[in-house]
Amino acid sequence: MATTTVSSVSLSLNDRITAGILALLIGSFLVFGAGLANSAVLHDTAHDVRHSYGFPCH
Amino acid sequence: MIVKTLLAALVAGLIAGVFTTVAQSARVVPIILHAEEYEAKEPATEQPAATEGQQHSSLESTIGDILAAFSPITPAYAHEGEHEDEGGIMFGMSRFSGTLLANLVTGTGFSLLLTGISLLIGYPITLRNGVLWGACGWLAVHMLPAIGLPPELPGFPAADLHERQLWWVATVLLSGAGLYLLVLRPEILAKIAGLAVLAAPHIYGAPQPSDISSPVPAVLGAEFAVAALATALASWIVLGLVSGYINDRFVKSA
Repeated sequence: MATTTVSSVSLSLNDRITAGILALLIGSFLVFGAGLANSAVLHDTAHDVRHSYGFPCH
Repeated sequence: MIVKTLLAALVAGLIAGVFTTVAQSARVVPIILHAEEYEAKEPATEQPAATEGQQHSSLESTIGDILAAFSPITPAYAHEGEHEDEGGIMFGMSRFSGTLLANLVTGTGFSLLLTGISLLIGYPITLRNGVLWGACGWLAVHMLPAIGLPPELPGFPAADLHERQLWWVATVLLSGAGLYLLVLRPEILAKIAGLAVLAAPHIYGAPQPSDISSPVPAVLGAEFAVAALATALASWIVLGLVSGYINDRFVKSA
């Protein structure tokens, strides 16, 4: 059962929180830009993706 | 180490994005294209372009006013830029490349969100639990919001875009929190609270259109909803698995 012994493998708690918040910020920025941003160019580029993923569109 | 973790999320997201593009072009995108034929045929119901334009201006005007106060650009200039902004796919790419780019960005975004949550709650994504991570991501971002706002085709009637986006974002956040309480918390009270949080946005209710007549055939809509949700599930499972694999293989060993 070696696989279940993991918690924070080699990240300290501080590092983990920094990395976690950083990842959440960048991640939401990207998803917002592709999925929700109210720009015509972004909308047209991501049009099919927005529909396929069920983002509110149009 | 932080960089390595984020890099792993990035790579997993890009791989999932490529997979999603392939998966979408199998069924979902053809249905969208099919629906657009009907949308073009009957412009009477509600012109999506016009609604979008209105939405654009109403939101933009408030933000625009604030920005204008700080902006060194003269209004005329800004307006010219805005006109260039009127539609068209970025960098003059083809529709397919646009979809691919958007999928890469979205996949990376989802992957970073998953990694961020995993880091904050101290519950790593591994190859063994990757499928479950992916499935929970799909539930929170697609399946549960779809109860109120099913995936829509171009030409479908819909309520105000801003209201729907707000409801959607709130539902995704609440669903994520609810799933965490339900799945990862052992206390029975937390599980009950989790169920309540999951149900809350649906009890409140999603914004619905007042008139549901549509030029697009209902059968197409039903096919699309199922295909879209299934495709999204497949990409989330790939994302979870690839994330888990990369974490196991490259991040842990460092």
